[in-house]
Amino acid sequence: MDKKKMIKYGIIGGILLLFIFSIFGSYNTMVELDENSTTQWANVESSYQRRADLIPNLVNTVKGYAAHEKETLTEVMNARAKATSINIDASKLDAAAIQKFQAAQSGISGALGKLMMVSERYPDLKANQNFLELQAQLEGTENRINVERNKFNEIVGAFNKKIKKLPGKLYNMLFGFEERARFESKEGSDVAPTVEF
Amino acid sequence: MKKLLTILLLVLAFTGVSAQDCLLEKAPVPDLVQDYAGILSEGEEQALRQALIAFNDTVSNEILIVTVTDLCGYDKAKFTYTLGEKWGVGKKGKDNGIVIMVKPKEIDGRGDAFIATGRGLEGVLPDAIAKRIIENEMIPYFKQRDYYSGISSAAATAMEITAGEYSADEYVQPKLSLKKFMPFIFGIIAFIFIMSMKVGQTRRYASSNGLGFWAAWSLMSAASRSHSGSYGNFSSGGGSFGGFGGGSFGGGGAGGSW
Repeated sequence: MDKKKMIKYGIIGGILLLFIFSIFGSYNTMVELDENSTTQWANVESSYQRRADLIPNLVNTVKGYAAHEKETLTEVMNARAKATSINIDASKLDAAAIQKFQAAQSGISGALGKLMMVSERYPDLKANQNFLELQAQLEGTENRINVERNKFNEIVGAFNKKIKKLPGKLYNMLFGFEERARFESKEGSDVAPTVEF
Repeated sequence: MKKLLTILLLVLAFTGVSAQDCLLEKAPVPDLVQDYAGILSEGEEQALRQALIAFNDTVSNEILIVTVTDLCGYDKAKFTYTLGEKWGVGKKGKDNGIVIMVKPKEIDGRGDAFIATGRGLEGVLPDAIAKRIIENEMIPYFKQRDYYSGISSAAATAMEITAGEYSADEYVQPKLSLKKFMPFIFGIIAFIFIMSMKVGQTRRYASSNGLGFWAAWSLMSAASRSHSGSYGNFSSGGGSFGGFGGGSFGGGGAGGSW
């Protein structure tokens, strides 16, 4: 083996090594982002759950002052029951699953928005300290939902970019990660009800 | 007519500062009191700042008071918690920051206030309590344009609750509010302190010059009048604030309008 050949092999080996490290790095980032988005999904779910947990209390308070708004109250409870019955498998978060989840949650948003509008008509209810606080809590949960959803979309966006841009796109042929779905904000369908008077 | 004129003048005065760029685009300004709307006097700002710095030094919670003229097109909630998140108010990991935001009514006819709590303080200062602080401590004063009283009493309440001095429940059902007497107590302590200092000085002066106590007293007070200007230096003492620690906000808090 002469010197020239050794240098040649050395260079090829070096390049190969760099290449392998780059693959490893890419893979690790992808796994990390993938895991992070699953974790973030849990945060999204728990922020929605937090809102669902407020509803029985809210409904009871409103009932005391506006008993004959039965229809609206049942609507809220039904929407809540429907939304909490949906179980989303966090490992299979495709666009359809997210859409299903979102549809059920926007059912709650719509029903709550209506309830808040109805409660406008009851001055005693509006002056009730308990109601005021539930309202503040509800606003707070809507804010938390927005924060967690945005964060989820950000992480998923970063993941998708990673597997779609070069060199990640090439490497991903080996790993086979699939693009992840995000929350779509459709006009009006999941806009948080403005519970502000 | 006169009232109209003052309102007009106020509006004009504020439009001067409303050229403020969106605060969310700016790099964090390491200061716990930032009065962009110009509703606090220099002295008021300083008093709040010293209290918040001392609080940060002892309890480590970071409370930012910010008054603005522009919410960057967001609602008050989103503006406030985004500011807290972006600037990292609170310590990293503890997420113990609070942002108290006030947009005075004079700018566009609608006053907005919001208290955003960092993720770590959502338990001790729940949204319902933040709402109460807004409604009970701030808005009544703001309606009378007494911005300082509203802001300082909200900040004082937030400090007391988050320092664990009393729980949120006790705030809701106060037993005997010590808070109301605090200024008195402070005043009395300060008075006693200054008097004892003076009496001590006078005694020394009297004994070293062979004078009676009251003669020395009158001589000394006459002398101190000439250089009373140096008293101002008293207030400038105090620590400084090093910068925000990278705390995170999850959307907690409550606001109100007037």
